[in-house]
Amino acid sequence: MIKLLENLCKIDATSGDEKGVRDFIINEIKDYCEYKTDNLGNLICFKKGKNTPNRKIMLDAHTDEVGLIIKSITKDGFLKFECVGGIDTSVLVARRVLINESVYGVIGSKPVHLSSEDERKKLPKKDNLYIDIGALSREEAENYVSIGDRAVMCSNFTVNGDKIISKALDDRIGCAVLIDIIKTYDNYDFYAVFSTREEIGAMGAKTATFSINPDSAVILEGTTASDLSGVPDDKRVTVVGGGVAVSFMDRGAVYDKKYYNEAINSGLKCQTKTAVSGGNNSQVIQISRGGVRTVALSVPCRYIHSSNSVADINDIRSSKELAVYMMDFMAKETDD
Amino acid sequence: MSFIKDTLCDLSNLDAVKSVDEASRYAYQKLCEYCECKKSKNNLSFSGVMKGESDYTLMLDAHIDQVSFTVTNVDDEGFLTVANCGGIDLRTLPSKTVIIHGKEKVVGVFISTPVHLLKCEPEFENIQDLKIDTCLGKKAKEIISLGDVVTFNQDFKELIGNRVTGKSLDDRAGVTALIEVARRLYGKKLPINVVFSIVDAEELGMRGAIPATFDIAPDEAIAVDVTFATAPDVSENEGGYLSKGVMIGVSPVLDSCVTDKLNTIAFDNRIPFQNEVMGGRTGTDSDVISVSGMGVKTGLLSIPLRNMHTDCEVVDIADIESVCDLLEQYILSGGAK
Repeated sequence: MIKLLENLCKIDATSGDEKGVRDFIINEIKDYCEYKTDNLGNLICFKKGKNTPNRKIMLDAHTDEVGLIIKSITKDGFLKFECVGGIDTSVLVARRVLINESVYGVIGSKPVHLSSEDERKKLPKKDNLYIDIGALSREEAENYVSIGDRAVMCSNFTVNGDKIISKALDDRIGCAVLIDIIKTYDNYDFYAVFSTREEIGAMGAKTATFSINPDSAVILEGTTASDLSGVPDDKRVTVVGGGVAVSFMDRGAVYDKKYYNEAINSGLKCQTKTAVSGGNNSQVIQISRGGVRTVALSVPCRYIHSSNSVADINDIRSSKELAVYMMDFMAKETDD
Repeated sequence: MSFIKDTLCDLSNLDAVKSVDEASRYAYQKLCEYCECKKSKNNLSFSGVMKGESDYTLMLDAHIDQVSFTVTNVDDEGFLTVANCGGIDLRTLPSKTVIIHGKEKVVGVFISTPVHLLKCEPEFENIQDLKIDTCLGKKAKEIISLGDVVTFNQDFKELIGNRVTGKSLDDRAGVTALIEVARRLYGKKLPINVVFSIVDAEELGMRGAIPATFDIAPDEAIAVDVTFATAPDVSENEGGYLSKGVMIGVSPVLDSCVTDKLNTIAFDNRIPFQNEVMGGRTGTDSDVISVSGMGVKTGLLSIPLRNMHTDCEVVDIADIESVCDLLEQYILSGGAK
């Protein structure tokens, strides 16, 4: 699964520009399930299992990652940009970016020698940042890039013991786990959605869930871990290496209590996400049509939404184990 | 790729700080192909000599060291505290990967503080707040020791045109220029002796050029370093233009005969050049070279560079080429003898 994750992370796919990931996934799953692509680019899969579940089950992972979109080109050939998804300015200054998976550039930063003491303490304004692709004029830049082109911050996928360092772990981890489940799980029928445009407001999951009309859903995600040196336990949210995290509530959803309890008491390695923060596709899945019961299984990631997030291989494995456990549970559930 | 681009690529990808001598060894081997070289006993510096037809010696200087970090603490959870070696803007670091040169090479990440832990806007006052996550947990202490070198984890890449990006282009661009000049002069009859002096520890206050220059005791010297290139946040008053050629330094600490002759040779040979005027100290090795021993007539050539002291430095290969063109003609014409 690590090689699969590496291949997924290396593809650049910002929200709405996710064909690269989608095509890669189709190639992986095409022999294991039925699939189709909808108008928003969602990849909707159905896998027939050995048994029919009592409830219609859907699994969700999103294919997009945070990145940049080129807004304009200055007369001197510098590119102005806007963020696609939530990116903090502190992880943008002096970074290498790759535009259209072909043209390298750097986000410039004023040399430390020329910055005043006050300037050095505060982040620059996002509006003042620019990408330098080495162009000397607008005309030269236009030979290589156009307004509306996408860029991502470069990173090298690195395995360091049990830890993985890479961009796009949110949510290629979910994609990798979901591909693995499609390939290996056949107890019950289920739907799998590789949804688009999560980072700009869970757009893909909204329409895909409407199409599928499930009863229960498992959301496979990455979430914040702030288990950093010196941070007290109650501020850590999740701990990398502590097992997959189960949420009771975040800024988008209050999760199904029964599922939360079942997951936490499953006996599989997992932890509770201890902060009410962030959000994921559950915010739209839960309120689709007449409502869907959801559980979110999130792999803890340090420095999420930066070009170098850190996750633990064992948490990714426990994410799959708990997802499969919950699928079996949902399939056997009877109305109470 | 060209010889200059190839050499710069290799040098940029390697590291040279204190006990980590990869780039220094590489440059030494390259220069050895063209002249007799001698290593310094106690640091990364080395020099190569080309004999000429007179006793007059011109020393060319470029520094091999780079901005870096050194480990000052390793904690039980595998996080490092570091100190910077050379000026580094802390705002460029969160979530950036680095290479920790411990018992083995380890890739670590500068932490980026999660938003929910910030009381207000992040402040960047003290590098001790910006720890490095080794991802090793308790095991970190077995592999990493206090004083270990930490460098940026960035490879060399081509941008569009002739522009390139990477780490440590300050001053591997200068070192590359010197190697290229040696390659061009190899086998040629020279009117003066030329000593190529590749030195350590410029980023720590030009500490490498001091003993190197004392040892060589040249009549004249030219330092080759980088300087600020203009960008949206660097005005024309603060820097030179990228891609418009070598910058010939003009400053009271430099020798005006050397400066004038460099200007004349550049002009006569139609080599693209710009002037960089400074009111005093240049912030380069030429500041200490000029006052070495009984004094050395010193000049300065600078290569315009963007985003200095980050792992996103940018230079134009053509600007390095213009340094080489100028130095080659200057030397063949006898320097400022």
